[in-house]
Amino acid sequence: MTDKSMKFVPGQPDMWAFVLFETLVFTSYFAVYLIFRTASPQLYLQSQAHLSLRIGIFNTIVLLASSWAVARCVQASRDGRFASASTNAYLATALGFVFLGSKIFEWAKVIRSGFGFSTNEFFMHYYFLTAIHCLHVLIGFVALGVIIYQLRSPARRSQELVETGATYWHTVDFLWVLIFAMLYVVR
Amino acid sequence: MNGRRELWFAWWTTVVFYQLFGVVFFVLTRTQPPPDPGWDASRVAQWFHDHHFGLLVGFGIMFLITGMTAPQNALIAYSMRRMSVSRAFGYSYLVLYSLSAIPGMLLMCIVLTVGAMRPDRDPELTSWLYDFAFLSFVGTMGVFLIGSLVWMLAILIDKNGVFPKWFGYLNLCNALTEVVVSPAWIFKHGVLAWNGLIAWWIDMVVFGIYTGVFLMQLRKMIQREDFGDGPLPDSAPDQESVPSTMASSAS
Amino acid sequence: MKSGVNNRLLVVWLVLSAITVGYFWMDRTVDHDGILRPSAVVTASAVMIALVKVRIIFREFMEVRKAPALLCRLTDAWIAIIAVSLLGCYFIGSAVG
Repeated sequence: MTDKSMKFVPGQPDMWAFVLFETLVFTSYFAVYLIFRTASPQLYLQSQAHLSLRIGIFNTIVLLASSWAVARCVQASRDGRFASASTNAYLATALGFVFLGSKIFEWAKVIRSGFGFSTNEFFMHYYFLTAIHCLHVLIGFVALGVIIYQLRSPARRSQELVETGATYWHTVDFLWVLIFAMLYVVR
Repeated sequence: MNGRRELWFAWWTTVVFYQLFGVVFFVLTRTQPPPDPGWDASRVAQWFHDHHFGLLVGFGIMFLITGMTAPQNALIAYSMRRMSVSRAFGYSYLVLYSLSAIPGMLLMCIVLTVGAMRPDRDPELTSWLYDFAFLSFVGTMGVFLIGSLVWMLAILIDKNGVFPKWFGYLNLCNALTEVVVSPAWIFKHGVLAWNGLIAWWIDMVVFGIYTGVFLMQLRKMIQREDFGDGPLPDSAPDQESVPSTMASSAS
Repeated sequence: MKSGVNNRLLVVWLVLSAITVGYFWMDRTVDHDGILRPSAVVTASAVMIALVKVRIIFREFMEVRKAPALLCRLTDAWIAIIAVSLLGCYFIGSAVG
Protein backbone atom coordinates (compact mmCIF):
# COMPACT_ATOMS: atom_id res chain seq x y z
CA MET A 1 0.00 0.00 0.00
CA THR A 2 2.71 2.49 0.83
CA ASP A 3 5.01 3.29 -2.04
CA LYS A 4 8.34 2.35 -0.50
CA SER A 5 10.23 4.74 -2.73
CA MET A 6 8.27 7.78 -1.44
CA LYS A 7 10.90 9.39 0.75
CA PHE A 8 9.88 12.21 3.03
CA VAL A 9 11.44 14.35 5.73
CA PRO A 10 9.43 13.97 8.94
CA GLY A 11 8.21 17.35 10.09
CA GLN A 12 9.82 20.68 9.25
CA PRO A 13 13.38 20.36 7.93
CA ASP A 14 13.99 23.45 10.09
CA MET A 15 13.47 21.39 13.23
CA TRP A 16 16.04 18.90 11.94
CA ALA A 17 18.53 21.76 11.57
CA PHE A 18 17.86 22.68 15.20
CA VAL A 19 18.24 19.05 16.31
CA LEU A 20 21.59 18.65 14.57
CA PHE A 21 22.87 21.97 15.96
CA GLU A 22 21.80 21.23 19.56
CA THR A 23 23.38 17.79 19.28
CA LEU A 24 26.71 19.40 18.43
CA VAL A 25 26.40 21.76 21.39
CA PHE A 26 25.70 18.86 23.74
CA THR A 27 28.56 16.88 22.21
CA SER A 28 30.88 19.76 23.08
CA TYR A 29 29.66 19.60 26.70
CA PHE A 30 30.31 15.82 26.76
CA ALA A 31 33.74 16.29 25.23
CA VAL A 32 34.67 18.81 27.94
CA TYR A 33 33.37 16.42 30.61
CA LEU A 34 35.44 13.53 29.24
CA ILE A 35 38.62 15.59 29.03
CA PHE A 36 38.27 16.70 32.65
CA ARG A 37 37.35 13.18 33.67
CA THR A 38 40.58 11.76 32.30
CA ALA A 39 42.48 14.36 34.33
CA SER A 40 41.02 13.17 37.66
CA PRO A 41 39.83 9.60 37.11
CA GLN A 42 39.70 8.58 40.80
CA LEU A 43 37.65 11.60 41.87
CA TYR A 44 35.12 10.96 39.12
CA LEU A 45 35.00 7.21 39.81
CA GLN A 46 34.44 7.68 43.55
CA SER A 47 31.76 10.29 42.98
CA GLN A 48 30.05 8.32 40.25
CA ALA A 49 29.69 5.38 42.63
CA HIS A 50 27.17 7.46 44.56
CA LEU A 51 24.81 7.52 41.60
CA SER A 52 22.25 4.80 41.29
CA LEU A 53 22.57 2.87 38.04
CA ARG A 54 19.12 1.41 38.74
CA ILE A 55 17.45 4.83 38.69
CA GLY A 56 19.45 5.77 35.61
CA ILE A 57 18.32 2.67 33.74
CA PHE A 58 14.73 3.25 34.86
CA ASN A 59 14.83 6.85 33.64
CA THR A 60 16.25 5.78 30.28
CA ILE A 61 13.62 3.10 29.74
CA VAL A 62 10.81 5.51 30.69
CA LEU A 63 12.03 8.15 28.24
CA LEU A 64 12.49 5.52 25.52
CA ALA A 65 8.89 4.45 26.15
CA SER A 66 7.68 8.03 25.80
CA SER A 67 9.52 8.23 22.47
CA TRP A 68 7.83 4.99 21.46
CA ALA A 69 4.45 6.50 22.32
CA VAL A 70 5.23 9.61 20.25
CA ALA A 71 6.28 7.45 17.29
CA ARG A 72 2.99 5.57 17.56
CA CYS A 73 1.18 8.89 17.75
CA VAL A 74 2.76 10.06 14.49
CA GLN A 75 1.83 6.79 12.76
CA ALA A 76 -1.75 6.95 13.99
CA SER A 77 -2.11 10.56 12.97
CA ARG A 78 -0.76 9.78 9.52
CA ASP A 79 -3.37 6.99 9.14
CA GLY A 80 -6.14 9.35 10.23
CA ARG A 81 -6.69 7.52 13.53
CA PHE A 82 -6.79 10.71 15.56
CA ALA A 83 -8.25 9.28 18.75
CA SER A 84 -5.43 6.76 18.98
CA ALA A 85 -2.93 9.49 18.13
CA SER A 86 -4.23 11.68 20.96
CA THR A 87 -4.07 8.81 23.43
CA ASN A 88 -0.48 8.15 22.51
CA ALA A 89 0.39 11.82 22.82
CA TYR A 90 -1.10 11.91 26.33
CA LEU A 91 0.77 8.70 27.16
CA ALA A 92 4.05 10.24 26.01
CA THR A 93 3.37 13.31 28.17
CA ALA A 94 2.55 11.17 31.19
CA LEU A 95 5.77 9.19 30.75
CA GLY A 96 7.63 12.47 30.39
CA PHE A 97 6.26 13.52 33.77
CA VAL A 98 7.30 10.18 35.25
CA PHE A 99 10.83 10.89 33.99
CA LEU A 100 10.73 14.38 35.48
CA GLY A 101 9.45 13.08 38.81
CA SER A 102 12.10 10.40 38.90
CA LYS A 103 14.79 12.96 38.14
CA ILE A 104 13.67 15.24 40.95
CA PHE A 105 13.57 12.26 43.30
CA GLU A 106 17.09 11.32 42.29
CA TRP A 107 18.39 14.88 42.74
CA ALA A 108 16.83 15.03 46.19
CA LYS A 109 18.43 11.71 47.09
CA VAL A 110 21.89 12.80 45.93
CA ILE A 111 21.59 16.19 47.64
CA ARG A 112 20.55 14.56 50.91
CA SER A 113 23.63 12.35 50.63
CA GLY A 114 25.58 15.57 50.76
CA PHE A 115 26.52 16.05 47.11
CA GLY A 116 25.54 19.42 45.73
CA PHE A 117 26.26 21.42 42.57
CA SER A 118 29.57 22.74 43.87
CA THR A 119 30.67 19.67 45.86
CA ASN A 120 33.18 18.55 43.29
CA GLU A 121 33.88 18.51 39.55
CA PHE A 122 31.96 15.33 38.82
CA PHE A 123 28.83 16.54 40.57
CA MET A 124 29.12 19.90 38.84
CA HIS A 125 28.96 18.09 35.48
CA TYR A 126 26.23 15.78 36.76
CA TYR A 127 23.90 18.57 37.85
CA PHE A 128 24.76 20.74 34.88
CA LEU A 129 24.08 18.07 32.25
CA THR A 130 20.95 16.69 33.90
CA ALA A 131 19.57 20.17 34.56
CA ILE A 132 20.12 21.46 31.05
CA HIS A 133 18.57 18.25 29.77
CA CYS A 134 15.59 18.77 32.08
CA LEU A 135 15.16 22.22 30.63
CA HIS A 136 14.93 20.57 27.21
CA VAL A 137 12.34 18.17 28.63
CA LEU A 138 10.26 21.11 29.83
CA ILE A 139 10.45 22.65 26.36
CA GLY A 140 9.49 19.19 25.10
CA PHE A 141 6.24 19.43 27.05
CA VAL A 142 5.48 22.53 24.98
CA ALA A 143 6.15 20.50 21.82
CA LEU A 144 3.86 17.71 23.07
CA GLY A 145 1.30 20.36 23.94
CA VAL A 146 1.40 21.59 20.34
CA ILE A 147 0.86 18.02 19.12
CA ILE A 148 -2.09 17.46 21.46
CA TYR A 149 -3.59 20.82 20.51
CA GLN A 150 -3.24 20.04 16.80
CA LEU A 151 -4.85 16.62 17.15
CA ARG A 152 -7.82 17.93 19.11
CA SER A 153 -9.74 19.68 16.38
CA PRO A 154 -10.39 18.61 12.77
CA ALA A 155 -9.79 22.24 11.81
CA ARG A 156 -6.09 21.85 12.63
CA ARG A 157 -4.34 18.45 12.57
CA SER A 158 -1.28 19.55 10.67
CA GLN A 159 0.70 16.36 10.16
CA GLU A 160 3.79 18.50 9.66
CA LEU A 161 3.45 20.11 13.07
CA VAL A 162 2.79 16.75 14.75
CA GLU A 163 5.92 15.31 13.16
CA THR A 164 7.94 18.42 14.01
CA GLY A 165 6.97 18.18 17.69
CA ALA A 166 7.75 14.46 17.60
CA THR A 167 11.20 15.10 16.14
CA TYR A 168 11.95 17.46 19.04
CA TRP A 169 10.76 14.95 21.65
CA HIS A 170 12.88 12.14 20.16
CA THR A 171 15.88 14.46 20.42
CA VAL A 172 15.26 14.89 24.14
CA ASP A 173 15.24 11.10 24.32
CA PHE A 174 18.47 10.42 22.44
CA LEU A 175 20.30 13.22 24.24
CA TRP A 176 19.40 11.48 27.48
CA VAL A 177 20.72 8.16 26.11
CA LEU A 178 24.08 9.90 25.64
CA ILE A 179 23.99 11.70 29.00
CA PHE A 180 23.15 8.46 30.77
CA ALA A 181 26.13 6.73 29.17
CA MET A 182 28.44 9.65 30.05
CA LEU A 183 27.44 10.04 33.69
CA TYR A 184 26.44 6.56 34.81
CA VAL A 185 28.34 4.06 32.71
CA VAL A 186 31.60 5.52 31.45
CA ARG A 187 34.61 4.59 33.61
CA MET B 1 12.63 52.88 -2.62
CA ASN B 2 13.65 55.41 -0.02
CA GLY B 3 12.24 53.40 2.85
CA ARG B 4 14.84 50.78 2.09
CA ARG B 5 17.65 53.29 2.51
CA GLU B 6 16.73 53.82 6.16
CA LEU B 7 16.65 50.08 6.72
CA TRP B 8 20.12 49.76 5.20
CA PHE B 9 21.33 52.58 7.45
CA ALA B 10 20.11 50.65 10.49
CA TRP B 11 21.70 47.44 9.22
CA TRP B 12 25.08 49.02 8.51
CA THR B 13 25.02 50.75 11.89
CA THR B 14 24.55 47.33 13.46
CA VAL B 15 27.40 45.78 11.51
CA VAL B 16 29.77 48.64 12.29
CA PHE B 17 28.75 48.56 15.94
CA TYR B 18 29.68 44.87 16.23
CA GLN B 19 33.06 45.49 14.61
CA LEU B 20 33.78 48.31 17.07
CA PHE B 21 32.44 46.25 19.95
CA GLY B 22 34.82 43.44 18.99
CA VAL B 23 37.81 45.78 18.85
CA VAL B 24 36.95 47.51 22.13
CA PHE B 25 36.32 44.36 24.15
CA PHE B 26 38.79 41.93 22.62
CA VAL B 27 41.69 44.19 21.66
CA LEU B 28 41.64 47.51 23.52
CA THR B 29 40.30 46.57 26.92
CA ARG B 30 41.03 42.85 26.70
CA THR B 31 38.03 42.14 28.87
CA GLN B 32 37.05 39.38 26.49
CA PRO B 33 37.99 36.55 26.95
CA PRO B 34 37.41 37.45 30.60
CA PRO B 35 40.23 37.24 33.13
CA ASP B 36 40.16 34.71 35.94
CA PRO B 37 37.52 34.97 38.69
CA GLY B 38 39.79 33.02 41.01
CA TRP B 39 42.40 35.76 41.42
CA ASP B 40 43.09 37.39 44.75
CA ALA B 41 42.87 41.15 45.34
CA SER B 42 46.50 41.94 44.60
CA ARG B 43 46.45 40.01 41.34
CA VAL B 44 43.29 41.84 40.32
CA ALA B 45 44.91 45.17 41.13
CA GLN B 46 47.80 44.08 38.93
CA TRP B 47 45.38 43.40 36.07
CA PHE B 48 43.89 46.88 36.37
CA HIS B 49 47.39 48.32 36.35
CA ASP B 50 48.34 46.39 33.20
CA HIS B 51 45.18 47.37 31.39
CA HIS B 52 44.90 50.92 32.65
CA PHE B 53 44.91 52.85 29.38
CA GLY B 54 43.19 50.14 27.38
CA LEU B 55 40.27 50.20 29.80
CA LEU B 56 39.92 53.97 29.85
CA VAL B 57 40.25 54.49 26.12
CA GLY B 58 38.28 51.42 25.09
CA PHE B 59 35.32 52.05 27.33
CA GLY B 60 35.47 55.75 26.56
CA ILE B 61 34.80 54.78 22.96
CA MET B 62 32.09 52.39 24.13
CA PHE B 63 30.21 55.16 25.92
CA LEU B 64 30.27 57.22 22.72
CA ILE B 65 28.98 54.44 20.49
CA THR B 66 26.40 52.83 22.77
CA GLY B 67 23.69 54.73 20.91
CA MET B 68 24.39 52.57 17.88
CA THR B 69 22.48 49.76 19.52
CA ALA B 70 19.27 51.73 19.02
CA PRO B 71 19.01 51.23 15.23
CA GLN B 72 19.82 47.54 15.76
CA ASN B 73 16.99 47.03 18.22
CA ALA B 74 14.71 49.10 16.01
CA LEU B 75 15.52 46.98 12.96
CA ILE B 76 14.77 43.75 14.78
CA ALA B 77 11.54 45.18 16.17
CA TYR B 78 10.73 46.33 12.62
CA SER B 79 11.17 42.78 11.39
CA MET B 80 8.49 41.73 13.83
CA ARG B 81 6.23 44.53 12.71
CA ARG B 82 6.51 43.20 9.15
CA MET B 83 5.29 39.81 10.37
CA SER B 84 1.66 38.77 10.59
CA VAL B 85 1.92 38.61 14.40
CA SER B 86 0.73 41.17 16.90
CA ARG B 87 2.66 44.44 17.18
CA ALA B 88 3.09 43.59 20.86
CA PHE B 89 6.01 41.33 19.96
CA GLY B 90 8.05 44.16 18.46
CA TYR B 91 7.21 46.50 21.30
CA SER B 92 8.15 43.94 23.99
CA TYR B 93 11.44 43.29 22.27
CA LEU B 94 12.24 47.00 22.09
CA VAL B 95 11.54 47.52 25.76
CA LEU B 96 13.47 44.43 26.83
CA TYR B 97 16.55 45.13 24.78
CA SER B 98 16.63 48.83 25.52
CA LEU B 99 16.85 48.00 29.19
CA SER B 100 19.11 44.98 28.90
CA ALA B 101 22.07 46.97 27.57
CA ILE B 102 22.49 48.39 31.06
CA PRO B 103 23.26 45.27 33.03
CA GLY B 104 24.31 43.39 29.93
CA MET B 105 27.04 45.71 28.80
CA LEU B 106 27.16 49.22 30.24
CA LEU B 107 27.53 48.28 33.89
CA MET B 108 30.80 46.50 33.18
CA CYS B 109 32.06 49.44 31.13
CA ILE B 110 31.21 51.92 33.88
CA VAL B 111 32.49 49.83 36.76
CA LEU B 112 35.80 48.91 35.14
CA THR B 113 36.33 52.54 34.16
CA VAL B 114 35.74 53.50 37.80
CA GLY B 115 38.25 50.83 38.79
CA ALA B 116 40.86 52.05 36.32
CA MET B 117 40.40 55.69 37.19
CA ARG B 118 42.24 55.58 40.53
CA PRO B 119 45.12 53.08 40.33
CA ASP B 120 46.08 53.51 43.98
CA ARG B 121 42.70 52.49 45.35
CA ASP B 122 42.61 49.79 48.03
CA PRO B 123 42.99 46.41 46.21
CA GLU B 124 40.06 44.95 48.17
CA LEU B 125 37.77 47.64 46.75
CA THR B 126 39.22 47.14 43.27
CA SER B 127 38.61 43.42 43.59
CA TRP B 128 34.97 44.15 44.46
CA LEU B 129 34.62 46.31 41.37
CA TYR B 130 36.15 43.53 39.28
CA ASP B 131 33.62 40.97 40.52
CA PHE B 132 30.73 43.39 40.06
CA ALA B 133 31.82 44.18 36.50
CA PHE B 134 32.33 40.67 35.23
CA LEU B 135 29.38 39.13 36.98
CA SER B 136 27.09 41.78 35.58
CA PHE B 137 28.44 41.33 32.06
CA VAL B 138 28.66 37.54 31.87
CA GLY B 139 26.14 36.56 34.50
CA THR B 140 23.25 38.66 33.26
CA MET B 141 23.11 37.05 29.86
CA GLY B 142 19.64 36.09 31.00
CA VAL B 143 18.25 39.53 30.17
CA PHE B 144 18.89 38.75 26.56
CA LEU B 145 17.24 35.37 26.93
CA ILE B 146 13.66 36.65 27.03
CA GLY B 147 14.23 38.86 24.00
CA SER B 148 15.45 35.84 22.03
CA LEU B 149 12.35 33.92 23.05
CA VAL B 150 10.08 36.79 21.98
CA TRP B 151 11.72 36.89 18.56
CA MET B 152 11.60 33.10 18.31
CA LEU B 153 7.89 32.96 19.05
CA ALA B 154 7.16 35.74 16.58
CA ILE B 155 9.12 33.97 13.84
CA LEU B 156 7.46 30.60 14.46
CA ILE B 157 3.89 31.88 14.33
CA ASP B 158 4.50 34.41 11.57
CA LYS B 159 2.58 33.71 8.36
CA ASN B 160 4.40 36.30 6.26
CA GLY B 161 7.54 34.21 6.04
CA VAL B 162 9.82 37.09 7.05
CA PHE B 163 12.39 34.62 8.37
CA PRO B 164 12.77 30.86 7.83
CA LYS B 165 11.57 28.72 10.72
CA TRP B 166 15.07 27.37 11.40
CA PHE B 167 16.09 30.88 12.36
CA GLY B 168 13.32 30.86 14.95
CA TYR B 169 14.79 27.66 16.37
CA LEU B 170 18.27 29.20 16.34
CA ASN B 171 16.90 31.87 18.67
CA LEU B 172 16.00 29.03 21.02
CA CYS B 173 19.60 27.75 20.82
CA ASN B 174 20.79 31.23 21.70
CA ALA B 175 18.36 31.48 24.60
CA LEU B 176 19.48 28.10 25.95
CA THR B 177 23.10 29.08 25.70
CA GLU B 178 22.32 32.14 27.83
CA VAL B 179 20.92 29.84 30.51
CA VAL B 180 24.13 27.82 30.50
CA VAL B 181 26.04 30.92 31.60
CA SER B 182 24.11 31.39 34.83
CA PRO B 183 26.27 29.02 36.95
CA ALA B 184 29.01 31.65 36.60
CA TRP B 185 27.54 33.21 39.77
CA ILE B 186 28.56 30.11 41.73
CA PHE B 187 31.88 28.97 40.34
CA LYS B 188 35.20 30.77 40.60
CA HIS B 189 37.08 27.99 38.85
CA GLY B 190 36.41 25.41 36.21
CA VAL B 191 34.31 25.14 33.11
CA LEU B 192 31.28 26.99 34.50
CA ALA B 193 33.17 30.03 35.81
CA TRP B 194 32.70 33.33 33.98
CA ASN B 195 35.80 32.56 31.89
CA GLY B 196 35.12 28.81 31.73
CA LEU B 197 35.30 26.47 28.78
CA ILE B 198 31.54 25.93 28.79
CA ALA B 199 30.19 29.17 30.25
CA TRP B 200 32.32 31.43 28.08
CA TRP B 201 34.15 29.69 25.21
CA ILE B 202 31.46 27.30 23.93
CA ASP B 203 28.82 29.93 24.69
CA MET B 204 30.71 32.46 22.57
CA VAL B 205 30.85 30.06 19.64
CA VAL B 206 27.06 29.67 19.73
CA PHE B 207 26.54 33.39 20.24
CA GLY B 208 28.97 34.23 17.44
CA ILE B 209 27.17 31.93 15.01
CA TYR B 210 23.84 33.40 16.10
CA THR B 211 25.04 36.97 15.57
CA GLY B 212 26.45 36.21 12.13
CA VAL B 213 23.26 34.47 11.12
CA PHE B 214 20.91 37.19 12.35
CA LEU B 215 22.90 39.83 10.50
CA MET B 216 22.54 37.79 7.29
CA GLN B 217 18.83 37.22 7.90
CA LEU B 218 18.18 40.93 8.47
CA ARG B 219 20.07 41.71 5.28
CA LYS B 220 17.93 39.24 3.33
CA MET B 221 14.80 40.72 4.84
CA ILE B 222 15.74 44.22 3.71
CA GLN B 223 16.54 42.97 0.21
CA ARG B 224 13.17 41.22 -0.04
CA GLU B 225 11.15 44.00 1.60
CA ASP B 226 8.16 45.11 -0.46
CA PHE B 227 6.69 47.39 2.21
CA GLY B 228 3.40 45.53 2.02
CA ASP B 229 1.43 43.69 4.67
CA GLY B 230 1.30 40.26 3.17
CA PRO B 231 3.84 37.49 2.82
CA LEU B 232 7.33 38.76 2.15
CA PRO B 233 8.36 37.78 -1.39
CA ASP B 234 11.11 35.23 -1.69
CA SER B 235 13.44 37.34 -3.76
CA ALA B 236 14.28 41.01 -4.01
CA PRO B 237 11.83 43.07 -6.05
CA ASP B 238 13.33 44.77 -9.12
CA GLN B 239 14.38 48.40 -9.23
CA GLU B 240 11.00 49.91 -10.16
CA SER B 241 9.64 48.38 -7.01
CA VAL B 242 5.95 48.72 -6.54
CA PRO B 243 4.48 46.86 -3.57
CA SER B 244 3.95 43.43 -5.06
CA THR B 245 0.37 42.98 -6.22
CA MET B 246 0.76 39.24 -5.75
CA ALA B 247 1.60 39.82 -2.11
CA SER B 248 -1.36 42.07 -1.46
CA SER B 249 -3.82 39.79 -3.22
CA ALA B 250 -2.50 36.79 -1.31
CA SER B 251 -3.06 38.44 2.10
CA MET C 1 -0.55 -2.78 8.13
CA LYS C 2 -1.19 -0.60 11.13
CA SER C 3 -0.41 -3.49 13.45
CA GLY C 4 2.73 -4.26 11.43
CA VAL C 5 4.05 -0.78 11.96
CA ASN C 6 3.05 -0.77 15.63
CA ASN C 7 4.68 -4.14 16.15
CA ARG C 8 7.88 -2.85 14.64
CA LEU C 9 7.86 0.15 16.99
CA LEU C 10 7.26 -2.11 19.98
CA VAL C 11 10.15 -4.36 18.98
CA VAL C 12 12.38 -1.30 18.61
CA TRP C 13 11.51 -0.14 22.12
CA LEU C 14 12.13 -3.62 23.54
CA VAL C 15 15.52 -3.83 21.83
CA LEU C 16 16.54 -0.38 23.07
CA SER C 17 15.40 -1.22 26.61
CA ALA C 18 17.26 -4.53 26.52
CA ILE C 19 20.47 -2.78 25.47
CA THR C 20 19.94 -0.31 28.31
CA VAL C 21 19.53 -3.08 30.85
CA GLY C 22 22.65 -4.62 29.37
CA TYR C 23 24.58 -1.76 30.98
CA PHE C 24 23.71 -3.34 34.33
CA TRP C 25 25.59 -6.46 33.40
CA MET C 26 28.52 -4.40 32.13
CA ASP C 27 28.61 -2.51 35.42
CA ARG C 28 28.61 -5.77 37.41
CA THR C 29 31.45 -7.37 35.50
CA VAL C 30 33.70 -4.31 35.75
CA ASP C 31 33.46 -3.70 39.49
CA HIS C 32 33.43 -7.33 40.53
CA ASP C 33 36.41 -7.11 42.88
CA GLY C 34 35.07 -3.97 44.54
CA ILE C 35 37.93 -1.72 43.47
CA LEU C 36 36.97 1.16 41.25
CA ARG C 37 39.26 1.58 38.33
CA PRO C 38 39.03 3.53 35.10
CA SER C 39 38.55 1.41 32.03
CA ALA C 40 39.06 2.45 28.45
CA VAL C 41 37.24 -0.67 27.28
CA VAL C 42 34.13 0.10 29.31
CA THR C 43 34.16 3.73 28.30
CA ALA C 44 34.60 3.03 24.61
CA SER C 45 31.91 0.35 24.74
CA ALA C 46 29.52 2.59 26.63
CA VAL C 47 29.93 5.34 24.03
CA MET C 48 29.58 3.00 21.07
CA ILE C 49 26.54 1.24 22.53
CA ALA C 50 24.93 4.59 23.24
CA LEU C 51 25.55 5.62 19.64
CA VAL C 52 24.01 2.39 18.39
CA LYS C 53 20.91 3.28 20.40
CA VAL C 54 20.93 6.83 19.05
CA ARG C 55 21.16 5.50 15.50
CA ILE C 56 18.22 3.17 16.12
CA ILE C 57 16.23 6.11 17.50
CA PHE C 58 17.11 8.15 14.41
CA ARG C 59 16.22 5.44 11.93
CA GLU C 60 13.14 3.93 13.58
CA PHE C 61 11.50 6.46 15.88
CA MET C 62 12.50 9.54 13.91
CA GLU C 63 11.77 7.78 10.60
CA VAL C 64 15.11 8.54 8.99
CA ARG C 65 14.78 5.10 7.40
CA LYS C 66 12.07 6.51 5.15
CA ALA C 67 13.77 9.84 4.61
CA PRO C 68 15.71 11.11 1.60
CA ALA C 69 19.35 10.06 1.31
CA LEU C 70 20.60 13.45 2.47
CA LEU C 71 19.02 13.12 5.91
CA CYS C 72 20.24 9.52 6.23
CA ARG C 73 23.77 10.59 5.46
CA LEU C 74 23.60 13.64 7.71
CA THR C 75 22.42 11.66 10.74
CA ASP C 76 25.05 8.99 10.13
CA ALA C 77 27.68 11.69 9.74
CA TRP C 78 26.54 13.18 13.05
CA ILE C 79 26.91 9.83 14.78
CA ALA C 80 30.42 9.60 13.37
CA ILE C 81 31.22 13.13 14.57
CA ILE C 82 29.99 12.32 18.08
CA ALA C 83 31.97 9.08 18.15
CA VAL C 84 35.17 10.73 16.98
CA SER C 85 34.80 13.71 19.35
CA LEU C 86 34.00 11.71 22.44
CA LEU C 87 36.41 8.84 21.92
CA GLY C 88 39.05 11.28 20.71
CA CYS C 89 38.71 13.46 23.79
CA TYR C 90 38.76 10.47 26.09
CA PHE C 91 41.81 8.83 24.57
CA ILE C 92 43.77 12.02 24.06
CA GLY C 93 42.85 13.12 27.59
CA SER C 94 43.98 9.78 28.99
CA ALA C 95 47.24 9.92 27.08
CA VAL C 96 48.07 13.49 28.10
CA GLY C 97 46.82 13.41 31.72
